[in-house]
Amino acid sequence: MQRDWPDIFGGLLLAILGAGAALWAAMYYDMGSLRRMGPGFFPVLLGAALFLLGLVIALPALGRSAEPPKIEPATALAVLAAIVIFALSLSRLGLAGATAITVLVASLPAPRKGWVWRIVLALGVTMLTVLVFSVGLRMTLPVWPRLS
Amino acid sequence: MTTWEGLLFGIGFVTQPEVLIYCFLGVVLGTFVGVLPGIGAMAAISLLLPITYYITPEAALIMLAGVYYGAQYGGAVASILLRLPGTPQSAVTTLDGYPMAQNGRAGVALFTAMASSFVGSMIGILVLVLLANWLSRAATAFGAADYAAMMILGLVAASTIGTARPAKGFAMVTLGLLLGCIGTDVNSGAQRFTFGQTELLDGINLVALAMGLFGVAEVIANVRNPDRQSVAARIGLRRLMPSRDDLRRMVSPMLRGSALGSFFGALPGTGSTLSSFLSYSMERRIARQPERFGKGAVEGVAGPESANNSAAITAFAPTLTLGIPGDPIMALLLGALVIHGIQPGPMMLEARPEMFWGLVASFGIGNLLLLVLNLPLIGIWVAMLRIPFNYLYPAILVFLCLGVYSVRGLSFDIMAVAGIGLAGYLLAIAKFSPALLLLGFVLGPLIETNLRRAFLISRGDPMIFLERPIAAGFVISTVALLLLPVWKAWRRRAHA
Repeated sequence: MQRDWPDIFGGLLLAILGAGAALWAAMYYDMGSLRRMGPGFFPVLLGAALFLLGLVIALPALGRSAEPPKIEPATALAVLAAIVIFALSLSRLGLAGATAITVLVASLPAPRKGWVWRIVLALGVTMLTVLVFSVGLRMTLPVWPRLS
Repeated sequence: MTTWEGLLFGIGFVTQPEVLIYCFLGVVLGTFVGVLPGIGAMAAISLLLPITYYITPEAALIMLAGVYYGAQYGGAVASILLRLPGTPQSAVTTLDGYPMAQNGRAGVALFTAMASSFVGSMIGILVLVLLANWLSRAATAFGAADYAAMMILGLVAASTIGTARPAKGFAMVTLGLLLGCIGTDVNSGAQRFTFGQTELLDGINLVALAMGLFGVAEVIANVRNPDRQSVAARIGLRRLMPSRDDLRRMVSPMLRGSALGSFFGALPGTGSTLSSFLSYSMERRIARQPERFGKGAVEGVAGPESANNSAAITAFAPTLTLGIPGDPIMALLLGALVIHGIQPGPMMLEARPEMFWGLVASFGIGNLLLLVLNLPLIGIWVAMLRIPFNYLYPAILVFLCLGVYSVRGLSFDIMAVAGIGLAGYLLAIAKFSPALLLLGFVLGPLIETNLRRAFLISRGDPMIFLERPIAAGFVISTVALLLLPVWKAWRRRAHA
């Protein structure tokens, strides 16, 4: 047991986000009046509400203990990196290249050991993706890496 | 169009091969994701959203709805055989379904779940048709203030009912509403929170938001989850048919569950998960031998399974006739329609009969398909449970990226999915509900527009919300919901 960090951090983060949004909207967008609301009215209202709710969540949590949450930073990092790599490499490496690399990176945190199944999986998924999206759905995408 | 003409018209529409195939695909895919614990209907529908760009809006809605109610059938399979609820709606089914399986009555439990789901759906369809007819007539009396009050009631109900910490629910809804403000303001044309990014002019892409919050976050959470590693299931399916005694016991729970589900499904903010829990506790309370519950009582499977399925169907009534989604899945389906440029409302029944009656008929045909297909295919679903997640999730990720990319052809959206996915994973860990965020996101622009309109009409006088009887009803219900936890706490203190 330890302090309820998820609620403390989560609440504070939401409070900061709410306060930031409300201040930003109040400074840059027209508030208008209740009768004729401007584009700033709703965001300021919501930002203020989020600020208060964040505090309501965070402050009581200070004196409370809770089970520490199970976080898996390595898994999250690998999965998110795989998505970012796909976004960055799609135009340069083509559909086939981007898919193969993405699958390899994404499979890193999988509990099963060994490299052979990862390579076979990458080839299999690449083939399936090219067949479904390029041949089947006729998406206009370069399939192979650009060499020039 | 009378109800009978409408139904016949709908059946004619759905039985066209090019529509029927999407209904079939939807229910099969839904059963598949329902069987797989960890990947729910939300994630599956988000993954499928981009595909709907390639087909007609009617076929798209029929397919996505099929995924939704198909997942409820599949969820029951995993609950009964493995005690792993495939979907939150079927969590209650584990309580008596799994003991039945352990007593060698897995076949009977599955039959009960399927039959109850079917009966629940059929009663749900009946209620949906009556309710939709009535609502679309009543909706002509709805003004801006009434719409705004009803949506606020929905948001308050969704964040307070069945959640342990209402403040966290409210925070997620508010964050969703705030995220919904991003982009060009529809009322004034002003750009809000775009920070000069042209990609944000149309707001955050719903597909990217849903995929990040549900798809990516669920994948991260399940990669190393021991429950998701291959399951060796030993299942005795020898006897599917229930005995005469079982049949006698399951009929009234089915009917009570369907009635309960039909009612709560149509209310904003409640929905099928709540209905199944309520049905279970009601059955246990009125049973002659409550001690049988938890040890394999047929009633404990029949009631909740009919309740969650009927609720899943009647939830479409407010979504289609008022354009107000009552739960996050309805919000996602409404978003899919808006992508196609369709804004559901009171005119829906008249203006797009294929949409409404086609969908209603597809519920009937889809549920029939599920009933006929699922019992013989149980073996295949069990085999599916044995596919290790290791092989599935890298492919899911690639499909997800390509799906988002296909919507606008922007790499920006794929990057956004990564960012939203990280946020979604952290939210899930800290036990904040991403589903409520999505509900707020979809309802945000609707609430803002109606609030502005209401205050414009009343010249800034907030009394409009109490002077109009419909709005006043919603406001009073909202206040009651807000005061309920306070009253409970006070009573607890008074007793202690």
